Amino acid sequence: MRKKKKLKGRYDGGMVDNPTLGGKIANVIITLVVIFLAAICLLPMWHVLMSSISDGFSLLSYKGLVWKPVGKVNLEGYKLVLQDSGILTGYLNTIIYVVGTTGLGFILNVMGGYALSRPTKLSGAMTVFIMFTLMFSGGMIPTYMVMKTIGLVGTRWAVIFSEATMAMYVVIACNAFKSVPEATVEAARIDGAGHFRIMFQIMFPQCKSLFTVTLLNTFIGSWNSWLTASIYVPGDRSKWPLQLVINELTSNNVNFLESANPNYSRYLVQFAVIIVATLPILIAIPFFQDKIEAGVIQGGVKG
Amino acid sequence: MKAKTKKNPYAVSWKKDWQKNKTVYLIFLPVFLYFLIFHYLPMFGLVMAFQDFSLAKGVFRSPFNGLDNFIELFSGEAFPNALKNTLIMAAFSLTIGFAAPIVFALLITSVKNKKLRRTCQTISYLPNFVAAVVVTSLVKMFLTYDGPLTALLTSLGFEQQNWLANDKPPVFWVINCLMGVWQSFGYGSILFVASIMNINGDLHEAAAIDGATRWQRIWKITIPSIMPMIVMMFVLQIGLIFKTGSDKILLLYMPQTYSVADCLYTYTYRLGFGSSPDFGLAAASGLFQSVAGTVLLLLSNKLSRKWSDASLY
Repeated sequence: MRKKKKLKGRYDGGMVDNPTLGGKIANVIITLVVIFLAAICLLPMWHVLMSSISDGFSLLSYKGLVWKPVGKVNLEGYKLVLQDSGILTGYLNTIIYVVGTTGLGFILNVMGGYALSRPTKLSGAMTVFIMFTLMFSGGMIPTYMVMKTIGLVGTRWAVIFSEATMAMYVVIACNAFKSVPEATVEAARIDGAGHFRIMFQIMFPQCKSLFTVTLLNTFIGSWNSWLTASIYVPGDRSKWPLQLVINELTSNNVNFLESANPNYSRYLVQFAVIIVATLPILIAIPFFQDKIEAGVIQGGVKG
Repeated sequence: MKAKTKKNPYAVSWKKDWQKNKTVYLIFLPVFLYFLIFHYLPMFGLVMAFQDFSLAKGVFRSPFNGLDNFIELFSGEAFPNALKNTLIMAAFSLTIGFAAPIVFALLITSVKNKKLRRTCQTISYLPNFVAAVVVTSLVKMFLTYDGPLTALLTSLGFEQQNWLANDKPPVFWVINCLMGVWQSFGYGSILFVASIMNINGDLHEAAAIDGATRWQRIWKITIPSIMPMIVMMFVLQIGLIFKTGSDKILLLYMPQTYSVADCLYTYTYRLGFGSSPDFGLAAASGLFQSVAGTVLLLLSNKLSRKWSDASLY
């Protein structure tokens, strides 16, 4: 009832007109400013995209923003990306990390959230146990030492474990499970369903949309992460995720010029690899717009 | 009476609770182990901060040296400098960085065309999902000696230079702040847009009929309506000063800009994983960061509870 009333009275921006000339001019200016800001969000990526399909040699001497491809349009940069074994290994590793992190994180979130949401004698203690890590952390050096002691440093597991989940996600999962009516759970139990069955077949389907946000965040966080890998697998290129490869490519891009017969298309690789690593995520985001917004608003209202 | 004991889990005896819920506890076990190993063990590992730690001897056999590490930190130059820079950059992000999403939310909610509004909003939070490595690469690309932004700045009368190598304050701080603004003004505005859209339209209509101008309505209706949200977000931001977003600085700074760009996080990182690691010192620096972060978080949480009825815990 209350929700309905709220919706009816919504301020949709069009309710109050500004019929005066000044008001109309202000509207136009505001719209232009908003479009300008949105353009600024896209501009850097546009620059990279256009650079990546430019001609390497002309691009080297080109100054300023690349509005449209410089020189002859070509896909040399992308060809080199596909031939570069370092980049391909990076891509593969990123996929391993993303799948491992998201998978492990999901399992931990579901199990932790379920256990916290059940009325047990220890549920309070378990919640405090999880929540305390939100407040205080050992920091990166002791964490590194723990990883080293249990022999994970230098393995992919170190990266996967350190990014799998965090207290906030377990708490969100717990709230998701709590949103399922207790009567449903009770009915399933009377029908003889065990905990795992209740968890995955009864409760999870009813609250899975609440998990989308945590899944999405873990996924994107893992895809974009570079720091954990640079701490735990710094020397081993065969375990580098794509982001570390990009960092190296964009940091020392001038080296190729020193050879006698430079291949100027090498200059394009840094742009092409950024596009290859970023565009898939950026194209996917608009499809999740509602979920992302709902997640932020939920988090904000709650916390 | 019987029904009551069934409802309240705390009134059940331990034995009964175990019999009934042992599967629940079993399900929790992996999560318990995960947090124990990767979150609680490092906390105990913080004793390193009070040790003359060496890798060969490990946590258990390294000799304790009391507060020597902390004395060394505070008597040196690098740590106070890092602390200063952390606070200055936090001040930038709490002012400009905090105001940007609110201003954007006010602007975008005044756009009449719904389709245009939604499109611009979606575009505005794309940068939030761009990887740190890519964002910093873009910054380097645009601000290098012959980058597009440098060209723009040169045409405005600034000297042509590689802006990232400039160690004069406040150049690096402004770059870092604007990078943060670019990345998160759209994403940060989601909450504000939602709450502005939820303001009862009748208020605006009534005010408009009474002759209130747009400017007056923003200041007298919109801002007061979202004030609780603004206060809450601001206070939460204070609590996160020591916890967020320094990995981009690791990618942006260089030895010649340490004096302005080095912050606690990067300093700790360098102590631990740099060319000559000193884990004891690094752990001490990290402990300072953790404790300061926790104190701020608790403080801000208390303030938030007092001022806006909302809190993190």
